[in-house]
Amino acid sequence: MNMKRIFALAFAVLMVLALAACGTRDNDKMANGSGNGSAMTDEPKTAEEALTLHTELLEREKAILSENTELWEKVFMETDKGMAMIEDEKNYGDFLLGTVEDAKEQFTDKEYEWLKESTTEISDIENKVAELEEKYPEIMQKSMDGDMSMPAGSDTSTPPDDGSMQKFPAFEGKDLDGNTVKSDELFSGNAVTVVNFWFTTCNPCVGELSDLDALNRELAEKGGGLIGINSFTLDGNETAIAEAKDVLAKKGATYQNVYFDSDGEAGMFTMSINAYPTTYVVDRSGNIVGDPIVGAITEKKQAETLQKLIDQTIAADMA
Amino acid sequence: MGKKFSGVSQTMSRFRGWIQAGATLLTNLHLPNFLKGGLYQGAGKTVCVPGLNCYSCPAASGACPIGAFQAVVGSSKFSFSYYITGFLILLGVLLGRFICGFLCPFGWFQELLHKIPTKKLSTKKLKPLTYLKYAVLLVMVFLLPAFLVNDVGMGDPFFCKYLCPQGVLEGAIPLSLANAGIRAALGKLFTWKFSILLSVIVLSVLFYRPFCKWLCPLGAFYALFNKVSLFQMKVDENKCISCGKCARACKMDVDVTKTPNHTECIRCGMCIRACPTNAVSFRYGFGNGKEAPKKTTMEESK
Repeated sequence: MNMKRIFALAFAVLMVLALAACGTRDNDKMANGSGNGSAMTDEPKTAEEALTLHTELLEREKAILSENTELWEKVFMETDKGMAMIEDEKNYGDFLLGTVEDAKEQFTDKEYEWLKESTTEISDIENKVAELEEKYPEIMQKSMDGDMSMPAGSDTSTPPDDGSMQKFPAFEGKDLDGNTVKSDELFSGNAVTVVNFWFTTCNPCVGELSDLDALNRELAEKGGGLIGINSFTLDGNETAIAEAKDVLAKKGATYQNVYFDSDGEAGMFTMSINAYPTTYVVDRSGNIVGDPIVGAITEKKQAETLQKLIDQTIAADMA
Repeated sequence: MGKKFSGVSQTMSRFRGWIQAGATLLTNLHLPNFLKGGLYQGAGKTVCVPGLNCYSCPAASGACPIGAFQAVVGSSKFSFSYYITGFLILLGVLLGRFICGFLCPFGWFQELLHKIPTKKLSTKKLKPLTYLKYAVLLVMVFLLPAFLVNDVGMGDPFFCKYLCPQGVLEGAIPLSLANAGIRAALGKLFTWKFSILLSVIVLSVLFYRPFCKWLCPLGAFYALFNKVSLFQMKVDENKCISCGKCARACKMDVDVTKTPNHTECIRCGMCIRACPTNAVSFRYGFGNGKEAPKKTTMEESK
């Protein structure tokens, strides 16, 4: 009976070790995930980081404006006289600074100092925000609420499917013939982009290639497009590219197939997919529409779901 | 070489349940993945585990040898799975169907089900069905995936796709519970395989290890090596009193004294514990244990 106890103990230790082993992996991941800087000086690397920064900047601007309400009221009273300056795309901070300068005599020295400092900071923030919006046009519609630098009623048409929209990870890669492909250019050029993840030795994936090619032709007429991402070809593996091309040719698939680095955002995204084939529908601003479709579209159920998402995206794009 | 361990044999077979539990856990180490609904995709997955354990189990630490064999033999790049066959032959020679009795998670699953107290039925009269698993191995694991190929030269993993209940139990069910995309992808094939799993579950309650006896291609492969495996059953003819208790205790329907290393023997050791004179034991090493002492005496007499 003593033996039984020893075994039970050994078993328990094994269990704990098993859990601990898995636990460390998670911690590693979390450590990697955190550490995103938030200061003004940080250069965002991805659209998501840009979005975070964008929101933070606007928060800061809001905070400044709500800090000394009475004083700001005074400034705003003055602006009414100047009028119509916000309309043209001038920096809001500069505009405020101008107003403050014009009405200089109305404030005490202390008030004037503070206002000058604040308006300059707002001006800096506005510059940074404008720069971000230019670089990552997609963040415009994502940070909608409470955003004062937004033109009203611009882009509320895309219906959020279930809560928030998820961005398709940005990438800069190449197609199998070596031409550069950038995700933002690709997505913004299409009303809808269907992204199919596959790999060369996956039978159901290869089975749907000709159907996907037909879908690509159909989409091209509607201003959409389809690309394939073969997980074997990531990082530009030459043999994998040759094999993928061979299979695509045999199946008569002529649409663009893209690869990028496996350690980038889109690379990580690809590696985290563990059911193949998986197909995503992406709208013009790079948002993933609906849930990914798992399984080949040669199946009726999958084909119908995909068509529904495509139609929905095209309709939203026209609205 | 050829050392025998009657005491060890007794202990091993007594604590077999714990060894099976430990092996199942080691085969499926990444337990948190059950909640995430994803798979572990690290380096461990390039190696096969000894038992029948689905690659697509979220927790799986390695690949299934049967699944891997079909994937390679069915791919357009390779004509035969040399590495996996070699690995299986090695395991067959080192351990044989000891893997079924001690290390296979699906074997353990069936045994646990068999502990549910109901009327138990004998499988002695269903002996011809035991040859079915060789057909499954040859046809579904080798011939169909290798030769029934599409225009690009790819075959389907027929056993995994159409028959394997372990794939549904460990892969489809937990993944579809945690992952909406996979849930949406379930179709007729899932219904078919789910009914196979249900049948195996019901049969396991009534019979002892029905899947191992009749269908398992991995068991069939290891069975071919039972006679030559280094892990052997040994009956000491000097101690044996021919009481027949071992044959009655054997749930795999083996007549232990006549054919101790029968293809159906999974080395569970029930006969070892049933033997009143400790004549039956495990044995590890070359030769069949009977000739070994004779040989040495001959060599000594030279």
